Amino acid sequence: MTLADPVTLAIPAFVLLVLAEMIVARIKDRTRYEPRDTLTSLMLGTGSTVAGILSGGAVFALATWVWQFRLFDIGYAWYWFVLAFVVDDFAYYLFHRSAHRVRWFWASHVIHHSSQHYNLSTALRQTWTGFFSLAFLFRLPLFLIGFPPAMIFFVAGLNLIYQFWIHTEVIGRMPRWFEAVMNTPSHHRVHHATNPRYLDSNYAGVFIVWDKWLGTFEPERDDDKPRYGIVKNLGSFNIVWAATHEWVGIAKDVWRAPGWKARVNYMIRPPGWSHDGSRDTSETIKARWEAARHEGGQAWKKPISSSSDADPAGAQSPAV
Amino acid sequence: MNWTQLGGSLAAVLVLVWIARLLKLGESRIADAEIARRMAEEALSGFVARAALVSTNGAAALVLGTDGIALLKRHGAKVAARRLSRPLWRRPSPEGVTIETGERMFGPVLLYGVLPEDVDRLEAQLTMM
Repeated sequence: MTLADPVTLAIPAFVLLVLAEMIVARIKDRTRYEPRDTLTSLMLGTGSTVAGILSGGAVFALATWVWQFRLFDIGYAWYWFVLAFVVDDFAYYLFHRSAHRVRWFWASHVIHHSSQHYNLSTALRQTWTGFFSLAFLFRLPLFLIGFPPAMIFFVAGLNLIYQFWIHTEVIGRMPRWFEAVMNTPSHHRVHHATNPRYLDSNYAGVFIVWDKWLGTFEPERDDDKPRYGIVKNLGSFNIVWAATHEWVGIAKDVWRAPGWKARVNYMIRPPGWSHDGSRDTSETIKARWEAARHEGGQAWKKPISSSSDADPAGAQSPAV
Repeated sequence: MNWTQLGGSLAAVLVLVWIARLLKLGESRIADAEIARRMAEEALSGFVARAALVSTNGAAALVLGTDGIALLKRHGAKVAARRLSRPLWRRPSPEGVTIETGERMFGPVLLYGVLPEDVDRLEAQLTMM
């Protein structure tokens, strides 16, 4: 069965919605967009589409090969599409969580997080190196179950389209029932934030329930406004650098590493890991922040203290 | 996606970027020393800011912390930061002082309108702590 590529069909809508959001930014907050950042994001998106075409044949062939060993015969009835959408979204959650916790996958995914802005153009800032990072492995179990490759790639396209609209600061909160079940702009702002409180949370694609069930959910707080980007922001709009900088970092670290164990760890341990512990990981950043918050809290309780005006919530607390 | 769609996508990218420029989106500056200190603390984990020198055009700042120095540069509408080790690698220029970061892609940062003596004074404070 041949199914249309929903992402290609959605491109005109993406363009119009980015335009609409720019006009809102002009009226409400001009810093929400920056022309060079937008150019980088959109060119990375276009490049990602080209990379997808170049590698798509190989991925589809692999999926079809795996599918011949399927456990069940699943047809094209509408309810199978619904089930495929839900199961594929869970596979996306697992991929996405790995993409933040394993440096090899992060090297590909970091492109999407490399903008310090959070707008609809950021949604289109997609990887060029997904195939090289072996990201497609996460969907192979779905073909073994028996979902036809064409069906999975179709629902994966719908998943990507859903994730477009949640990359915005224009929408505050959705109705409570929607926030409880679905991934929303609020939940995803948290995911893109570098505030210590928000690091490594909200990995969901469409359904936020995966995060709630697996302990990675963090709600957005009004007293801790998200700051977007990555822990060490690039400070450059260079498109090729945005697409490759973490791969370059891995190559340098592996080259200089003292021994094979360290070499492997530089590829598979979380971003920021180093053999001598000299760099920050999300764990060390969170721990430092928690310690400062605790100190701030203790000071807050003292009747006479020069620190008594510290933010008890820790939103802006300096560390150590 | 075919060649026509790819060409259309590239054209749409250029039109959107042109409109963003037309709408004057992305304009910002580091307004003052207090904001520079806050930005440095937010950008660098564990950094506790004490004082700051802000370039007169608001495009960069040098922030003194309790255990180091942070360099901020305006990056579009946001700010990118780096923690620098002493001694600072700098060169004076007619416009101000240029600080080298040692990173090719981050690049050197010009502190426009800042005097070399001010940088010396800021750096000396770190030694005294």
